[in-house]
Amino acid sequence: MSKKVDLSIDFLGVHCENPFFLSSSPVCHNYEMIAKCFDLGWGGVFYKTVGINGMNECSPRFDNVRKEDIGWVGFKNMEQISEHCWQENAEIIKRLKHDYPTKVMGVSIMGANEEEWALLAREMTKAGADMLELNFSCPQMTSHAMGSDVGQTPELVEKYTRVVKENTNVPVIAKMTPNISHMEVPSKAAVKGGADAISSINTIKSICNLDLENVTGMPVVNGKSSISGYSGAAVKPIALRFLAQLKMDKDLANVPVSGIGGIETWQDAVEFLLLGAENLQVTTSVMQYGYRVVEDMKDGLEIFMLEHGFTSLRDFIGKALPNIIPCEDLDRDFQIIPEIHDDLCVRCGRCAISCYDGGHQAIEIEKGTRKPLITDKCVGCHLCLNVCPVLGAITPGFIKFKPGRTPHDVVIKHTYDR
Amino acid sequence: MTKVRQLPYGELAENGLNIRLAMEEATRCLLCDDAPCSHDCPAGTDPGRFIRAIRFRNFKGAARIIRENNILGATCAEICPQERLCEKACSRCGIDKPINIGRLQAFAMSMEKDMKFQVLEAGKPCGKKVACIGAGPSSLAVAAELAKKGVSVTILDENEKAGGVLRYGITPSRLSDDVIDQDIKAVTDLGVKIVLNKHVSKDDLCALMAEYDAVYVGVGQSASKMIPNMKGADLKGVDTALPFLKKARIANGKIGDLGNVVIIGGGDVAMDCASTARQCGAKSVTVSFVETWETMPASKKEVDYVVDLGVTIIPAFKPLEVIGDDKVSAVKLAAMEGNSSMTLDADTVIFAVGQKVSDDYKDIKADGKLFVGGDAALVRGATVVEAVKSGKEIAEAIAKFLQI
Repeated sequence: MSKKVDLSIDFLGVHCENPFFLSSSPVCHNYEMIAKCFDLGWGGVFYKTVGINGMNECSPRFDNVRKEDIGWVGFKNMEQISEHCWQENAEIIKRLKHDYPTKVMGVSIMGANEEEWALLAREMTKAGADMLELNFSCPQMTSHAMGSDVGQTPELVEKYTRVVKENTNVPVIAKMTPNISHMEVPSKAAVKGGADAISSINTIKSICNLDLENVTGMPVVNGKSSISGYSGAAVKPIALRFLAQLKMDKDLANVPVSGIGGIETWQDAVEFLLLGAENLQVTTSVMQYGYRVVEDMKDGLEIFMLEHGFTSLRDFIGKALPNIIPCEDLDRDFQIIPEIHDDLCVRCGRCAISCYDGGHQAIEIEKGTRKPLITDKCVGCHLCLNVCPVLGAITPGFIKFKPGRTPHDVVIKHTYDR
Repeated sequence: MTKVRQLPYGELAENGLNIRLAMEEATRCLLCDDAPCSHDCPAGTDPGRFIRAIRFRNFKGAARIIRENNILGATCAEICPQERLCEKACSRCGIDKPINIGRLQAFAMSMEKDMKFQVLEAGKPCGKKVACIGAGPSSLAVAAELAKKGVSVTILDENEKAGGVLRYGITPSRLSDDVIDQDIKAVTDLGVKIVLNKHVSKDDLCALMAEYDAVYVGVGQSASKMIPNMKGADLKGVDTALPFLKKARIANGKIGDLGNVVIIGGGDVAMDCASTARQCGAKSVTVSFVETWETMPASKKEVDYVVDLGVTIIPAFKPLEVIGDDKVSAVKLAAMEGNSSMTLDADTVIFAVGQKVSDDYKDIKADGKLFVGGDAALVRGATVVEAVKSGKEIAEAIAKFLQI
């Protein structure tokens, strides 16, 4: 192809061949795994969180949420940080950095006190980390001096960030927990302590399913279960929300963010980039499908950029932010009445059921023909469009202005492809 | 409800998938490790890879993956016998039924039409010129591969439209003009010139060889075979497969009253004759062949398709004679085993018993700067996907000869 696009980006001054990184998690905890992911084209990793000692893990430790025939809508994980001690991890990191000098080795670390944070920062920097990510957010630690309990306490976030900054010369990223109403608060504390960037989000505290056989949660660990982190496609909307809020906060607007949360496709990636993320992290889809998911992320992103005339990621990073506005500022002058396309409609009546039971009783089914007809009661909520099983059978139709409002141009969505 | 499918001539036998339906089918794919489907394409297409691209919503990427490997990717999606190639090995068979790889490939290729960039690009001009005779699958594949290497290629074809057997030998319900045109556009986008209505006889080859650095003869098997010494073969109403199909295509199915039609032959071409006769308004259509249900060469997909259209199939009978005075009135058939025989009323009899190279190019051999390939070099015709494979190989040989 003659017109090449550039997927590389300098994140915190570190050149990344593409924005796709593995997030600190079960997918990157030893040499072989990370070597394979680099070979398959990932730009870098955030090495699974290094602590002072290895963890003592439970079995089993995973569960997933299904919806009808689709599994892994969401994923629950009870694993904690690295199972190796920091000395072993330092060796692995050194080897990887030596063998893959152009790949980016972010290293996630987590201490229980200032001394531990300082030691880990020093040693991982010495081992060759290109950047350090501070794990203030793992929701399933067996110690309450670590993980999301820390991330919910701005004073600790600031203090530990400062200690790390004093013990390293590489960029420092604070990884935040979504188990909090305002992530901006601990994020500002991290920035105050010297953090160069924010990673968002870590997993969401969850109980995915109850096991009726043992009357406990899933997974069943000797008859018991625990609250632990939820991830995957189901959390993407929450991750995008946190990302937008960070980028729209005037004090944080210029703080780079590494986006995390349910990224499976290039479209997901573009969504995070449009909301201002400059780096992207992935775990759950790798656990389900393997490192190869990066191939279509890169390929699809390249095609998206080619077709939109973008040559570098910065051409569109943050481009959607001005279009996310407070609810009170939305234009509420009109109703877009849906149009039902008779040639595609299969007469299932689902639109009418949902409209009656969840909307405004505005769809009548014609006797005999079973044809759905939209009546004057329609308020333009588009529940019918959302529930219709036939792609394209219901689309936005005419724009009706509310009484007393002045008609004006309205931007509408035309293509529905899901 | 009628038990017989009504399908007007030229109307598509299968509708394309939209994004939602393609996602449903791609979601059935198990995304296997070392996917077995990816080992079974003669042209080296990698269904495991392009289905994964669809699954991860990289639709145009899927089209690019297919196109980069197979210049006739849209055509192959429609007419490949997937059930005996890629789909045969599908791991999903262990659960229920294989992934519909052909439909997914067709979906991916439909996304190529919306692309705002060209997937394939011509190589840097190397100063060499090659002529390809015939605009069928083999020439198209050779031409595309050479153009990618920077060769200036001209295709010469005697017909009004390019595509050869794709255009004139396969029913448009299975392979539409749109799909053929899409693949041909991928070839011409590479700078390949196609000169139509230009018959090149064997005698013209010398002049061509003087003008071009190499000449490729990819004329295919454009003549129909006939059973030797078949009694009644010269009666009015007796035809052979390719002329019949071409006539129907040119007249868009309006070829007059066929009456009761009997087709002799058990391959895909015979099935295409059967569906075409049916769609052209034949009163009845019967297909008979010497093979059994197990050994008949037609793909199961094609047999199922003609049965749906109401065609009667009689395996393991051989034709003894065509009966009639001036015009055919019946065909006499005898069982391959035992003593059964039958006489079928017939107003039209079509022999679809194989194709051959036209007499003009009979026994043509490669020599120096003259290359011969595709079905023209074979005893028995091959599938389109095999033509793509051999086209790539011939292009390599020509490139080697041209020292590029």
